[in-house]
Parts: sequence; C-alpha cells; structure tokens
Amino acid sequence: MINLFLSKDCTKAAVLFHSKKRILEYISQVAHQKLPELSEHEILNSLLKREKLGSTGIGKGIALPHGRLSNIEQTLAILVVNEEPIAFDAIDDRPVDIFITLLVPDVQCQTHLKTLAAIADKLKDKQFCKKLRNAQSDQNLYDIIAD
Amino acid sequence: MHYQDTFLIENRLGLHARAASVLAQLALSFDAKVTLQQGDKEADGDSVLALMLLEGAQGKEVKVTCSGPDAELALKTIGELIANKFHEQE
Repeated sequence: MINLFLSKDCTKAAVLFHSKKRILEYISQVAHQKLPELSEHEILNSLLKREKLGSTGIGKGIALPHGRLSNIEQTLAILVVNEEPIAFDAIDDRPVDIFITLLVPDVQCQTHLKTLAAIADKLKDKQFCKKLRNAQSDQNLYDIIAD
Repeated sequence: MHYQDTFLIENRLGLHARAASVLAQLALSFDAKVTLQQGDKEADGDSVLALMLLEGAQGKEVKVTCSGPDAELALKTIGELIANKFHEQE
C-alpha cells in the first residue's frame, strides 16, 4: 500500500543533516519538486506547525513529520533516512534517523488512519528498520520500503 | 490487579499520530502495563506504532486494560484522555 503514496523520487537514503529544522527544510524541498504548485515555504510551515503541537518523533529513532494541506488531492509521502540520528524531541528522548513525512489533504480522516496503519505495520519490525538504516542508495531504500 | 473499561473514540481524527503519541506518553508515565483492544486487534499502550495499527476511528469503541501498581489511576487517566477527545477541538 505504501507505494500508492510514496514514489522513488521521494525516497532519499543516507542524507546528512544535523538539526530538526534542516531536515524539515530538506524534506520540504523534496516535496516541492513533486508538488510544484506548493511552495517550499508553505510545505515547511505546515510541518513546523504540526511539530509545535508536539514532536512527531514517535520513538525508536522514527519520526512521522506531517502537515495538513487544503490544496492537495491525495497523500504524498517522503521517506528520508539520515546517516546520523539527530535530536528531535521524540517521546522516548532518542534521536531520530528515519523520517517518514506525510502531506495529507486536510479533509481526510479514515484514509489517513489506514495510511498510518500501513506505515506502522512495516516499521514495527526492528529488522525492517535496520534495513532502512543500512540502505546505501535511494533505489535500494525504495526497494526495501515498497517490497 | 487488572482494571478494564471500554471507551468511545469521539475526536474526529480518531487514534491518529498525535493522539497515539499523547496516549503512549501517558501510558509510559505509569507503573502499569497498558493494553488497548479494538475489534480483534490489540496494542501495547506505550507503543505509538502499535496504537496506530488499531486504526481507531471516530465512533469506534476501544477496550483499555491496565495491570500493575498504578493500574487503577492509569485506567482513569487514559479513559479521561480518550473521553476528552485527546484535548482536540473536534
């Protein structure tokens, strides 16, 4: 199901950023290339707005940054794996290196819960997360997540 | 000692990422094992990933079971969180 909203050009392995702000900026750049009608600024703002309500670091080195946008028709996911875990105010205080970002149409509820469940179903497996962390290329990372 | 009760999910977004995170943080703060059940699915209350797998939508009922020294207080507090729509407006 994940490949319904995650494409290869939104899958980035082994990047290196050193702060929460920098990685969210990078994610916004990647999303903007996919959704040129939205500015990087608009995307970044939606992500930062959500972080202000509480960190999307859900524990075990994983974060699910997300933003709700009124002007998109379907969910877009961006998967980024950072080479080093960075501080993200996660609920278990552990630094984060796996970032699955979701840009979600703001009217969506039920489908969004299914999207989250599909992601959770993959990430609950420790070995799977290890494979994501070890991926050396974007293609390699995409093959693992879309499998 | 086990404490158990069933609560209705009332917030519009259901058990989405933020609601799951708030619940997991609350569960972690008690000396109790917290389990949530919805339909045939079961999740550890302190795991955001597990909670998201429940797909707890608005209008669904979720059974919360707590055991351990803080079980009674944990159940009461978690029940209040769900009933208060996870502090969400709608």
